[in-house]
Amino acid sequence: MTTLDTPILSLRNIGKRFGGVQALDDVSFDVVAGELHAVMGENGAGKSTLMKILAGVIGDYDGDLYVSENRQHFRSTRDAEAAGVSIIHQELNLVETLSVSANIFLGRESRRWLGVLDKAAMDRDAATLLAQLDSPLDPSVLAGTLRIGDQQLIEIAKALSLRSSILIMDEPTSALTESEVERLYRVIEGLIARGVTILYISHKMDEVFRLADRITVLRDGRFVTTVRKQDTTAREIAHLMVGRELADFDHHAFDEPHRENVLTVRDLSLPWPGHSKPYRLKGIDLTLQRGEILGIAGLMGAGRTELLECLCGASPVPPHGEILVEGTRCRFDHPADAMAAGIAMVTEDRKRLGLFRHMNVRENISLCAIDDCATAGVVSKSSEIAHVASQVNDLAIRTDGTECPIDQLSGGNQQKCIIARCLLTRPKILLLDDPTRGVDVGAKAELYRLIRRLAGEGMSIIVTSSELPELLTLADRIAVMCEGVITQTFDREHATEQGIMEAATRTSIVSLG
Amino acid sequence: MPSRRETVKTLLIMMLKRILGGVEIKLVIAWIFVLVVTTLLDPNRTYVTNPESTASLIWRNTVFLGFFAIGSAVIITSGGIDLSSGSVIALSATVFSSLMMLLDPDGFRDGEISRGVVTVALIGTLFVGAMVGTLNAWLITAVGLPPFIATLATMVGLRSFARGLVGTVTGNRSQIDMTDTALRDSLKDLTTVSIVFMLFAAAIWFLMTFTVVGRHLHAMGGNEAAARLSGIRTDRLKWLAYVIGSVSASIVGIIYFADQGSAKPDILARGYELNAIAAAVIGGCSLSGGVGSIIGTVLGCLFLRTVIDAVNKIVGTGADVYEGMIVGIVVVMAVTFSQRGTAIGRRYFVSPIGWASIPILSTLAGISFVLFFRDKPWFVGMHAVVIGGVTAGCLVLRSWLEMRGQKT
Repeated sequence: MTTLDTPILSLRNIGKRFGGVQALDDVSFDVVAGELHAVMGENGAGKSTLMKILAGVIGDYDGDLYVSENRQHFRSTRDAEAAGVSIIHQELNLVETLSVSANIFLGRESRRWLGVLDKAAMDRDAATLLAQLDSPLDPSVLAGTLRIGDQQLIEIAKALSLRSSILIMDEPTSALTESEVERLYRVIEGLIARGVTILYISHKMDEVFRLADRITVLRDGRFVTTVRKQDTTAREIAHLMVGRELADFDHHAFDEPHRENVLTVRDLSLPWPGHSKPYRLKGIDLTLQRGEILGIAGLMGAGRTELLECLCGASPVPPHGEILVEGTRCRFDHPADAMAAGIAMVTEDRKRLGLFRHMNVRENISLCAIDDCATAGVVSKSSEIAHVASQVNDLAIRTDGTECPIDQLSGGNQQKCIIARCLLTRPKILLLDDPTRGVDVGAKAELYRLIRRLAGEGMSIIVTSSELPELLTLADRIAVMCEGVITQTFDREHATEQGIMEAATRTSIVSLG
Repeated sequence: MPSRRETVKTLLIMMLKRILGGVEIKLVIAWIFVLVVTTLLDPNRTYVTNPESTASLIWRNTVFLGFFAIGSAVIITSGGIDLSSGSVIALSATVFSSLMMLLDPDGFRDGEISRGVVTVALIGTLFVGAMVGTLNAWLITAVGLPPFIATLATMVGLRSFARGLVGTVTGNRSQIDMTDTALRDSLKDLTTVSIVFMLFAAAIWFLMTFTVVGRHLHAMGGNEAAARLSGIRTDRLKWLAYVIGSVSASIVGIIYFADQGSAKPDILARGYELNAIAAAVIGGCSLSGGVGSIIGTVLGCLFLRTVIDAVNKIVGTGADVYEGMIVGIVVVMAVTFSQRGTAIGRRYFVSPIGWASIPILSTLAGISFVLFFRDKPWFVGMHAVVIGGVTAGCLVLRSWLEMRGQKT
């Protein structure tokens, strides 16, 4: 295919090694000016490494990079920004204790005489930039007080202020609510209309097919192909990404509807001290049967995570109301209490609350059940390795042995390690808070199969997700939350995306006053 | 399931990797290097002529530092920091002597304290140590202070408290003197102290390496929030870590009291907490928590004390003045070289800050030379200029090479 468009960005034979791992190998492709070019691939395919090279985060690599046909070698993000390339990282890089405008102009502050900050000018310019993004944010509020979606807009405003012609977005929707995603789409369309070229990294097929002009697929650090959106299908892209056909996930039938309740929650409320709304959660009633998967839907801030925290003894203040596990009333002051009662939780924030990055796979998996591998408090290493190895086999965790540093595993495998850690405590109830966040397509399907298998073996599971299709696939019932209240519960046959979204945005009947 | 043979193989590989890749082997090599250099440079050749007393002196200092450095290592590994250990040493010496004085005034005056009273005083002092550790842990877990602030408060507070205690017990004197020489000798007997130290070090090493508690301490040090969510009772663990830290300092307080023959809380062990932290860091403990080695810490103490002793021998009189300089330099070097792979390839002198450091380092080298060797018969002022000049020349050369490397 010939094209009249000249490439604004050309990659030629880009390669990068980290120690023994070839993260990128001979990657070449072109990005045409003004297009939205999606880069897809499983975790570990090399997308992030490639973007870090383009943005100057990694300065040491093989191959050549051309921006508007000039050879460039960025050694720092400053170099890249000077050439018009900006990146918006998946993990946002904001100074939470500084204001919105201070973040936008960080390192390039407007000055007056003697280097005194010209705060008024920066606030004014920031407001102009934010207005271009249709955002009514006040430039003088602290970045840390904003929601993730708004924080992301700050990063985009920063890129605008740099007059970047190429904007790299690394999984920009991974932490956004559906409404924030819609707003981001509008912003992206606006940027494209202004002639900005966007390199868009994502796992999510639907958003790529909605936004992208062309799609480049990477696999195992190598370039697979670049295709125009209209010439391909989601199924084909998924196939190219994993190098194998993905079996469609068959719906699972919860055959015995009347089993005993494992968990009953009655009138659970979580006080919110020092806040204008006195309760974070109010009047929650829940039941969970043996072998059932209960999905909890809700937008960000609806209280999904808070509810799970109450159920595993990790809430900041003790909740009111009753929690009954197998008919016994329980009070959880510490996660250890919940664990003793047979409840284990996999947190949403894997990096901050789940992983022990200084420890290896074995130590990460065995931690909660280390007492089972010990006599009189002394750990038996061979028993520990046996416990861990059985989980590694059982969950098919791809790792270079039990002694491998946890950081070398992909996101999906790290998540499996944390699930393995919970499973070793032999829980009756497993709480999974957005378990597939930041996990690639192939690993997602594996996690779904695993969750279903566990339920089939009689474990009761509560799962939350920011992606509705995921809940519709997995859950037997779906409880929808909005502003700390359960607004509606759906059976699997009655649950639709439409209905759930309505319930998730319903102004609550119960007043939180 | 892996076979038994595979498990044994994995364990062996793990052990080998740990030994070869660890900080311990590097410290042993560095230590041997220092011994060789000292043997060559020491004008009195004490390593050759008087190995026994030299070894016992270094070992004695290593053991004294080792006790509370191990305590610090446990706390640092658990993600905290203890600035109060120096003050706890002073307080413990005070409490130990005060208890004996109050319980057996006659015996204390005559220098024949009853053994029962000594035992009570020993237990009482260690108990006070445990109380201080509990206080630190309470300030950190219940009051919610950062460990640095909590132990900063107990550091300044407890020393002043000990001074007041001495004043009250003695009737406005500033120190308590020990008259019972037999007791002094038995308490500071190097063999006994060494055995206690080895037992203590072995116990803590075992605790940190092989037990559930040790694993939990490492986990908490690296990621406290995740550890709590994993059902680990982090508050209790912190209590344990700070109690180990303070009790180890209390033991040192008792030994120092015996060694010096008096309890002078205004100067005793002042600033020693930083030596303990330095030894732990040299021994491979990471101040960000989760990583630490007890064997490494003991080797770190040995290395630190050997270097101090070496400078003592080479410089001669009045070298205790330079202890702080040595600790400072050794800490910088140890942490620099433990940043794996980056120490050699790193660029030190390519920015204005780097360039400004060249004259500073050269001046320091030149003047230090004067300070160290001014009393030597061969000393000429010109030497210092040459040393400073050579240092500057080397650093400028390094800077030039680094900048050339940066361009290509």
